[in-house]
This record gives sequence, C-alpha cells and structure tokens, in this order.
Amino acid sequence: MFVILVYDVNVKRVAKVLKTCRRYLHWVQNSVLEGDITEANLKKLKVELMKIIDKEEDSIIIYILRTTKYSARQIVGLNKGGENLFI
Amino acid sequence: MKKTLYIFTNGQFHRKDNTIYFETEQGEKRFIPVEDTGEIMIFGEVDINKRFLEFLSQKEIILHYFSHYGYYMGSFYPREHLNSGYMILRQAEHYIDENKRLSIARLLVEGAGKNILRVLKYYKARDKKVDNSIVTIETLLGTIATCNDIPSLMAIEGNMREAYYKAFDEIIELPDFIFENRTRRPPKNYLNTLISFGNSLLYTICLGEIYRTHLDPRIGFLHTTNFRRFTLNLDIAEIFKPLIVDRVIFSLLGRKMITTDDFERGSEGILMKDRAKRCFIEQMEEKLKTTIKHREIGRAVSYRRLIRLELYKLEKHLMGEKVYEPFIATW
Repeated sequence: MFVILVYDVNVKRVAKVLKTCRRYLHWVQNSVLEGDITEANLKKLKVELMKIIDKEEDSIIIYILRTTKYSARQIVGLNKGGENLFI
Repeated sequence: MKKTLYIFTNGQFHRKDNTIYFETEQGEKRFIPVEDTGEIMIFGEVDINKRFLEFLSQKEIILHYFSHYGYYMGSFYPREHLNSGYMILRQAEHYIDENKRLSIARLLVEGAGKNILRVLKYYKARDKKVDNSIVTIETLLGTIATCNDIPSLMAIEGNMREAYYKAFDEIIELPDFIFENRTRRPPKNYLNTLISFGNSLLYTICLGEIYRTHLDPRIGFLHTTNFRRFTLNLDIAEIFKPLIVDRVIFSLLGRKMITTDDFERGSEGILMKDRAKRCFIEQMEEKLKTTIKHREIGRAVSYRRLIRLELYKLEKHLMGEKVYEPFIATW
C-alpha cells in the first residue's frame, strides 16, 4: 500500500522522527514523506515513532491509500524529493 | 515488493542514519529507504565502504555491478540468510543423479520452448511470416523426450533459439536492427546488444529472487555447475527470456523508443548509451510490475513474483512433494 506521512513534532524530536521515517519512506518535503510500504513495515514504523514522540504534544498523520490508481500527484513549484529508482 | 535501485550517476554510497545515503559527484544528496530496497544495480562509478556492505548484508540487499561497458561484472551476494543444508543436499542429489538432473533439465527446455512458441504464435496471428520457425521449434520440442544426455539437450535448446531468432527480423521489420546471427562477447550488431543486455539483466533479477529462497544459485540443472559462476539463475531465466526480455525488446523497437543513435561503437563491440540503458530498464521494470491472473493461485501475480513461484515449484520438486512444471504463458 501507499502512504503519505506528515508530522508536526517539537523541534527537539524532528530529527529523530525524520531519521526513522527515512528508512521506510521517501522524503518529499519538510515534514512530509511518502512511498510504498507493507502492512508489517507500517506497524513497525508506527511502533518506532510512538517511542520517540510525546503523545501530548506531537502529531503524526498517516494517509493510507490501498492503491494509487485513482490518485494523481501534482507539483507546483520545486520538486524537492520523492521516489526515484534511477539515480 | 521491495524495489530495485539503479545507479547511473557517479557518486558515493554511505550508511547514514541507518539507511542508504547516496551523494552524487555534483553534491546532490539523497536518502533511500532501506526497508523498501531489495536490490541495487550499479552502472556508474560508485565508491563504497565496508560499513555500507555490512549494512547491506544485514538488510539482505544484493548489490550487482556492471562494467563501464554495461556488462554484468558480479554481485555482492550477502551472507545467506535463508540457510538450508537440507535444500543444498536435495539440490546436489538431483544434480549428481544423471536421471534426476535430466528430468529437470528437460522440463526447463520444454518450458523455454513453449514460451518461445507462445511469442511466435502471437506474431503469427498478426500476419508475420514466422511459420518456418514455429514448425522447426515444434519438431525440436518433440525430440526432447528422446534426448538422453545434457549436452544434446543443450543442443536442442540452442537450435530452438536459433530458429526463434531467425523470426526476429520478420517480427521487428526494421532494417537497422537485423539479426544476422547471435554474437556475444562482444555483440556485433544492435539487436544482439539489446538481447545481451536484456538477458544479463534478467539473470541478475533471477539471482535476486533465488537469494530469497532456500535454493543455492551455484547448482543449476540445465547449465553445468562449475567453479566460475552462478548457474541456477541461468536455468530459470531460460523460461522467462521470451516472455520478458524479448517482448520488451519488441516493444522498445516497435515504438521507436530506442534507435540506432542510442548506440556507439567501442573496442568492446557495440554498446548502448546510458539513455538507452535507462529506457530499457524502465520498460523492463514496467513489465516485471505488470500483473497477470494466475490460474492456480487465482489472483493477480506480477512477473517478478512468477519468477519466485517458479523457484518454489522447483523446491517442491527437489523435496519430492510435487513434480516441477515449468510456467507456460497462455497469452
């Protein structure tokens, strides 16, 4: 499945959250990552994130798309990152 | 399914923040999610350190590297994570016992031949004159059962391919891409270059799938096991070459996505330029991702998955659970 993850966490923890997410998803913009992920890996990622964040203060939203067939992705302005299998 | 990463740019690989980090010569930095990476194929000039290799091994990621000329050079095949002495013994047993080996090899050749026929019949239906090749291959297929040793089986396989490649000119219909005859190391014309490139890609993909099973890539059945290279991936690739590689080549040429401008003549024969390699790989990835409805399983299965399923069937055969049946396309 395809997910879009956005986070809004205290500056003290952004680096940690970003590092964790980067292992599973492609960085797109500040505080936004996306990519294909398996259900198991999503669970793992969530558990890891839960350990880092402060549930009283931080917020992470994960949008889950079973398929990207009906969605389109448009970029206005700079293309900062995303998935690319060719470098 | 985990992704394959292709590197064409020059740069450096690092392990950073427990994930893969690539920095190009131009200083462009990029993080790649490890958990979503299955294989890395390197075409550019890349610096690697042991720390990085250690990390790949831990994450069970294979690294394949290709020479400056685009030829397969080797793989960093990490420590076996799916270790099975039992399976190696079964594999060896089926290799040493001439009859057992022959029965698997026969099935592999039969599978390859039938898939070749499938491709040719598709073009026959589109009014291409491929009848001669079809007849030759059908007669050759009939002789498999009477074939009593591996070399003659290899000969049948070779003759089938020859008849098959003869039909290529008829199918492609481009004077720039005539086949003449099969030349390798180095390929002597454009079409041969494409075939070689596609085949070596498929070999590495099969190797990657073998790594994810308990099978040992060193013990092949049709191809003779030797001291030099992996052979099981060559066996499995035989079945899928017509379905994947050749079809990709036909569509690349049919849609004029690759033209003669995409090649250059080097001391190592005719070489593809980077643009053409990328284009080829993109189409191949596209193909591997497409799904078909699998008759037995009853759900959609990608081509890449089909390769793995083929290996599972082989495992079952080796364990004596179910006789191996090669995958034969019905479309």
